[in-house]
Amino acid sequence: MKKAFVVALVVLGFILAGCPARKVVQPEPQQPTVAPQETKQGAAKVKPEERITEQRLAKIETKEEPSKYIEEKALFEDIHFDFDKYDIRSDAQPVLQKIASWLLKNTSIKILIEGHCDERGTNEYNLALGDRRAKAARDYLTALGVASNRIEMVSYGEEKPLCTEKTEECWTKNRRAHFVLLKEAGK
Amino acid sequence: MNRKFKVLVLIFLLFTVYCLLFTVAEAKVYIDIASPVLKKLPIAIQEFSGTSGKEISDIIRDDLTFTGLFLYIDGAAYIENPSQPFNPKNWSPIGVEAVVKGSAKEDKDLVVTMSLYDVFEGKEMFKKEYKAEREFIRPLSHAIANDIYYTLTGETGIFRSRIAFVADDKGGKGIYVMDWDGNRITRLGLKGNTILTPHWSRDGTKLIYSAERNRQWGIYLVDFISMNERKLFFSQGINMAGDFLPEGNDFAFSSSKDGTPDLYIMNLKDHRIKKMTSSYGIEISPAVSPDGKYIAFVSDRGGSPQIYTMQRDGSNVRRITFEGSYNTSPAWSPKGNRIVFVGRRGTNQIFTAKPDGTELTQITTAGNNEDPSFSPDGRYIAFSSDRDGVKGIYIMRANGESQQRITHKNLRTSVPRWSPN
Repeated sequence: MKKAFVVALVVLGFILAGCPARKVVQPEPQQPTVAPQETKQGAAKVKPEERITEQRLAKIETKEEPSKYIEEKALFEDIHFDFDKYDIRSDAQPVLQKIASWLLKNTSIKILIEGHCDERGTNEYNLALGDRRAKAARDYLTALGVASNRIEMVSYGEEKPLCTEKTEECWTKNRRAHFVLLKEAGK
Repeated sequence: MNRKFKVLVLIFLLFTVYCLLFTVAEAKVYIDIASPVLKKLPIAIQEFSGTSGKEISDIIRDDLTFTGLFLYIDGAAYIENPSQPFNPKNWSPIGVEAVVKGSAKEDKDLVVTMSLYDVFEGKEMFKKEYKAEREFIRPLSHAIANDIYYTLTGETGIFRSRIAFVADDKGGKGIYVMDWDGNRITRLGLKGNTILTPHWSRDGTKLIYSAERNRQWGIYLVDFISMNERKLFFSQGINMAGDFLPEGNDFAFSSSKDGTPDLYIMNLKDHRIKKMTSSYGIEISPAVSPDGKYIAFVSDRGGSPQIYTMQRDGSNVRRITFEGSYNTSPAWSPKGNRIVFVGRRGTNQIFTAKPDGTELTQITTAGNNEDPSFSPDGRYIAFSSDRDGVKGIYIMRANGESQQRITHKNLRTSVPRWSPN
């Protein structure tokens, strides 16, 4: 009697617990822009209906801020870097010394250092590499006495190559720091 | 005692069989996409009736065949006319297991009805009516393909997803959005001299990206609901946007504001910034895992650019790439079980690996291939390549199969990023 009662309890337990969750096949909303409409109740069967729409992407024109500076013609030659490197080579030192002494004489002018790379790297890493190259040139100039607030820097990564052929000669030319003189606009 | 146990086991077994029977009857899976040995499902797609009918059924066919899960049986083999009612006896002789039929009417709206039939069971397994303005014929067709895909695989399709990318725009660069198959390219008008990879918010309503404007690298956000752009961050040096975190208001980025490029997390609401790394070298390209617990990134701390992972708080840094001297541009799969990245092996190629760096697999070989990102279901990868001369956007299956260009050669395109939904 007692045994039968236990068995009955166990059976009841299974029934109450039910089967494990089944995979429920239901159409999922595919996109937040899809607005499902009410399903029409047909005579024979339910025919689901969906209205497909999406947001029209409007044009958002970028407001370009005017530049504070006017770029002057470059007076100095570029300095070059080894592949994947950002340390100042010995052949770049005389160029940087010339730039430093010119800046110490012409104190009203700022300089922009552009860091560039060859095209072989990937774009974000090249941008970081160009940034380190510009910074290496800046650190050299400040060590020679140029005030750091007179030096602007920008990295262009691989975006502004001087030379576009896929040759070692071309890549060598593109791995560079380029110097631009900046005059404040309106002065 | 022993007998009671036997009875219990018997009851349990009966119950299990009962449950199995029910489960099988309720949800028939036509294609088990998780199976390692996949049998393609032979499917027939009849030309839809109506003036736009062919265009719609062609889009559905292209969507389904790209997945590699279906064997499309060509219309020349069909015995049944599109106008005839479905009869399984017309389909089993030519080996078809699923049949799609439909009709399109054009009134004020485009109204399309689609039916999907099971040949073995000889019954209609899905039927639905779709309405849209005429200009949304492609999203409508993709919605039908999604319903077919869901009915047959139990998984959500990606046929309404989009890809954001950068291309030339009037002397500079601009941001564009297109359908995943390369159609319906929209120029957003957001410009810069250079623009880097756009990153989607996890709900697909925002993009963040870096642009160089007037010699300054800024991080910008475009909101597709309010349709405006705002500047989030700038400083001297480089500032490069990374992924959003799952919470939606935080995003990772790299900046050289303190000297060398380091990783940060910024909150969109209060603009507070938290520094994640500080090393003497380069730390860039933060990619946030789907659960938000880990960040994969690129660092040259070991002497060459390699991919590392760390916990979100900056702890537990591990290098995951050891082959090759240049591995960059990591992105996570939506399930978090793979990382895709670019490795240089003479040329730049795309690789995937598990997040611990094991199971390294090279999946491209032709030309230079960069900027990989996964589709929302993790089954496909979008990337850029110069293999045809002009840099363009390509898609492929995550194992490297079916590589195809989706942008035209008259537009120089790069840095594709697949939308999250």
